[in-house]
Amino acid sequence: MTGATPLVSWQALPLAVLLSSFVPGIWIMLLAEEQRRLRTVLNLVGAGAKVVFVGLMLQGIGAGAEYGWRLQVVPGLELTLVGDALALLFVTLSAVLWLVTTVYAIGYLEDSPNRRRFFSFFSLCVTATTGIAMAGDLFTFVLFYEALTWATYPLVVHRGTPEAVEAGRRYLLYTLVSGAVLVLGAVWFQVETGTVGFQSGGVVDPGAAAAAPGRYLALFLVLLAGLSVKAALFPVHGWLPVAMVAPAPVSALLHAVAVVKAGAFGVTRLLHSLFGIEVAWQIGGAGIVAVLASVTIVYGSVRALAQDDLKRLLAFSTVSQLSYIALGVALLTPMAQIGGLVHLVHQGLMKITLFFCAGLLAETLGVKRISQMGGIARRMPLTMMAFTVAALGMIGIPPVAGFLSKWYLGVGALQAGLPWVVAVLLASSLLNAAYFLPVIRTAYLDPPGSAWSGEGDANPVGGPARASGPRRLEADPRLLVPALVAAALALLSGVFGGLDWSPLGWTELIVGRGDL
Amino acid sequence: VLSPAWMSALTWAAVGVPVAVAVAWIVPALRRGVVAAAPFAAIPALALAAVHMVSPGTLTPVEAPALFLGLRLGVDTAGGALLALTAVLWTAAGIFARSQHRHDPGRERFFAFWAATLAGNVGLVLAWDLLGFYLAFAVMTFSAWGLVVHDRSEAAVRAGRVYIVLALVGEVAILSALFALGAAAGGGVLLGFELSEAWVALGRGAPLVAGLAVAGFGVKAGLVPLHVWLPLAHPVAPTAASALLSGVMIKAGLLGWLRILPAGGETVLPGVGEALVVVGVIGAFYGVVAGLAQEDPKTVLAYSSVSQMGYLAIGTGLVVLLADASHLALGAVLLFALHHGLAKGALFLSVGVAERVPAGARKTGSGRGTRARWGLRAGVALSALALAGAPLTSGAVAKGALKAGLGELGGAWYAVLDPLLLVAALGTALLMVRFGVVLERKIGTAAEKPGAAASAGDDLAGALPGSTTPGSVPSRSGLPGLVLPWAALVLVGTSAPLWMAGAPPLPDGVAVPGPLDGVLAGVLPLALAIGLAALVLRRPGLTGKLRSLDIPPGDLLVPVTRALARAPRGAGRLSHLAGSGTARLQSAEGAVVHRYERLARGDLALARGPLLALALFGLVVLLVFAMLGG
Repeated sequence: MTGATPLVSWQALPLAVLLSSFVPGIWIMLLAEEQRRLRTVLNLVGAGAKVVFVGLMLQGIGAGAEYGWRLQVVPGLELTLVGDALALLFVTLSAVLWLVTTVYAIGYLEDSPNRRRFFSFFSLCVTATTGIAMAGDLFTFVLFYEALTWATYPLVVHRGTPEAVEAGRRYLLYTLVSGAVLVLGAVWFQVETGTVGFQSGGVVDPGAAAAAPGRYLALFLVLLAGLSVKAALFPVHGWLPVAMVAPAPVSALLHAVAVVKAGAFGVTRLLHSLFGIEVAWQIGGAGIVAVLASVTIVYGSVRALAQDDLKRLLAFSTVSQLSYIALGVALLTPMAQIGGLVHLVHQGLMKITLFFCAGLLAETLGVKRISQMGGIARRMPLTMMAFTVAALGMIGIPPVAGFLSKWYLGVGALQAGLPWVVAVLLASSLLNAAYFLPVIRTAYLDPPGSAWSGEGDANPVGGPARASGPRRLEADPRLLVPALVAAALALLSGVFGGLDWSPLGWTELIVGRGDL
Repeated sequence: VLSPAWMSALTWAAVGVPVAVAVAWIVPALRRGVVAAAPFAAIPALALAAVHMVSPGTLTPVEAPALFLGLRLGVDTAGGALLALTAVLWTAAGIFARSQHRHDPGRERFFAFWAATLAGNVGLVLAWDLLGFYLAFAVMTFSAWGLVVHDRSEAAVRAGRVYIVLALVGEVAILSALFALGAAAGGGVLLGFELSEAWVALGRGAPLVAGLAVAGFGVKAGLVPLHVWLPLAHPVAPTAASALLSGVMIKAGLLGWLRILPAGGETVLPGVGEALVVVGVIGAFYGVVAGLAQEDPKTVLAYSSVSQMGYLAIGTGLVVLLADASHLALGAVLLFALHHGLAKGALFLSVGVAERVPAGARKTGSGRGTRARWGLRAGVALSALALAGAPLTSGAVAKGALKAGLGELGGAWYAVLDPLLLVAALGTALLMVRFGVVLERKIGTAAEKPGAAASAGDDLAGALPGSTTPGSVPSRSGLPGLVLPWAALVLVGTSAPLWMAGAPPLPDGVAVPGPLDGVLAGVLPLALAIGLAALVLRRPGLTGKLRSLDIPPGDLLVPVTRALARAPRGAGRLSHLAGSGTARLQSAEGAVVHRYERLARGDLALARGPLLALALFGLVVLLVFAMLGG
């Protein structure tokens, strides 16, 4: 790593990262709906500040520093935030993607009602996500995990349509029930082991686990049940494809960073920071995770095949791709763990690109279904290029980042002696191709459709302002640029995978240091 | 010749320039620049190939650890020969395409795909390890889809679909082989080409892995029965792209075999080598039979490629099988690849030229362009003779070298294969005659189309050397831009026997046969073929019988898709089952949700209104405390 000394060794840096979105969130809530400019400034300053804080922490950790901040809530329970390499992987992803999504959301929600509520909860949602990432123990984790549920709900139902309300209800049902199970599991864990702290290598005593494997497996499964809803593991993934009725920036953040990654990250913590991967294998829990994840990978892809609604297709694709993470971290070999962990970032970059593009098509031309996408690449070439890059990455075509995940997962699985995992990965590749490539073919080769609305016509939130003006760009730059940036990041993360600071390089650092 | 720093810069430029040209398409203002630059984007590769020919072995691989999983590029013996072919063919085809797509409204898109495909092609030739090779291979494969479907006709879209499906199957097969080798190499991310230890470590799994690799790269190389995409996709692409697909890109599959399979001597996989030889022989014959039944000159050429790649599969089999003489087989394979690429490239371009040559008196009633037509026929004859292995041609040299390798194998193999190959040579010669016949029908077809340049004849006359037609003014239709690269390729190919013994640096100890060696083996099939062809052409009945063979382009694919189409009952039942299963699952899910809903209705009220604000307030208080406490 470059930089011999950390620039900033202020221990409360994690808190600063948290507050950089929390303060704007609360502030915006106190503003009036019309204070558009101040709201935008707050949003962007908060997002920018977070990226700066995260950058400082990255530099520090690269130089060997550790950041930690704790506060006693009641005797024996502390709110603990840590900034270590693993936390930073997730925090950096959310900081960077929050920034681009904020820009996108400002453009997307132009002139629509209730933007104050939207942006307020948008910021709180990211606050909760960052809190989950930096939680230093199970107590803090559960706290932010629950907060995320509540902060996301208003975003899901934002449009207020019957479908949105229904989706929100479904979302709350799944997450509240699983949240209760998680709290139960956390309490049980505390009683059983006497600690709730996260520690690389696990805090469960291997001897105790070996003495009572059944009880520990039950404990593991309770915690897994609590986490699996947000991780969208089969069969409790049902809320996710419904929740895609939310506005595009919400779907983007939901599917790429916030909720689903909280679940996947939680599974990682469960396997590595609570039980330790060896113990998890001994009691059989990790094996169950691997099998569940594999089933989910195939199931999500199969369901995606039949979709015509673009966002729904992307949602099922998320269900599938997300489980790469759980699958990788559940395996014993470092390469598989690297592959799973790095997919946390890679999937985020690729999926946010796809959702941005879906939003672009819907906002610019009113196109929401694949059957309406004929020839659309001629009208929106850059959008479809970004889409194509991300889709190829999902299939696992190099040099897009998705290939690197797949390579590490595949080799790691074989090293672990699990050739069936390779079969799952390759089947997933082919299934991904089977549902993404027809979309691309339609967009590039089919004759242009007549179903496209004029600019802004079928757009429920955009005003007539967007219909006028010279057509220099194919779409509103505030929507287009974030999509292109995200696509470029997905591509560059693969092209420059060998850099120390690439997602892959950072993940290798985490696993190499034994920080997992 | 050059200092290491320059060599390194040149190596990166060979890949980097095409990448930059392709990426420039993103900026709308630069797209005209893409069209201007893409045809010449192979020039750095050409320079690198020239340097390598002048002073082989001076290049140590250049490294960029930051790129991908650590990229290394370099030129070795196999890469050097294919680099020369790649650079020459891409440059010639580039100039050809520049003229052919002059008025094409989709040319910006076309040349962006062009540059990306070129980047992949040069990259895979220069790649110094398997992962880099796989990366470039994938870039080339998926970018070339844009070339295949370029004209968006129904045939092109269908070919594109078949192309991409088989390409994906190939990619998956290759990737699974790479996973296995990567795991066997101790998780080494950087796999060099020194794979012998990994192959040994694979133990009993080695044949399976090797089979996957052979099949995976075999898709690209047109290995029967994985060739079905090739006769569909090669011909529908624009002519320049057809020449590249069939001339060089097909060799990417060959190079993949050479890179991944363990070479002779230390081989643990005799079965794989034998299988390659057998499949190669089948391919050599099958391509001829299916090709003879074709009506479109480009399809005939595509089947000829299937047949010729059979020879290269045989050669690769020899590389795997031969213990001490593996390098001889490698030399033969490289010579053959070079020879076939040049000849096939020239033949494909000749189709594009023929379309633009003015039709003869029979069609238009005018005598214009007689010289042009005879110039075309002469050039085609030279390339066709080379492909058929006539004495004094590059084909004679390449086939002689291959035969020498076969002689090293000796035994029953040689006894069976030597006469078989003689028969196959007869087939190739027949196929070339067939090509000549169907090409004649193509002459002037483009000129008749509305919108084609009216003065094509004059342009061509001006372009052909020694022409005395008065119309030798600079053309607007760009025909010289078609003729010159074609003529240059014909010249390079025809002169190959003079230089191919020395110019691509071959493995030490490879004795390249003279062009006159084995005259009998060269003349006999040729004479037979011409005799047979004369017989067939004189008797229309025979031609009719040949036609009744009726092998559609894509041969095996047609019955397969028909069978698939005829199986809707089974498929329907399956999808019905899957559908009802899903529906049942969904209704179960719905019931569970409904029950939860009734349970949780009280909680749901909390979600709205003041309690949410209260919860947030609590969080604020907590964090304020936290700040004070911290």
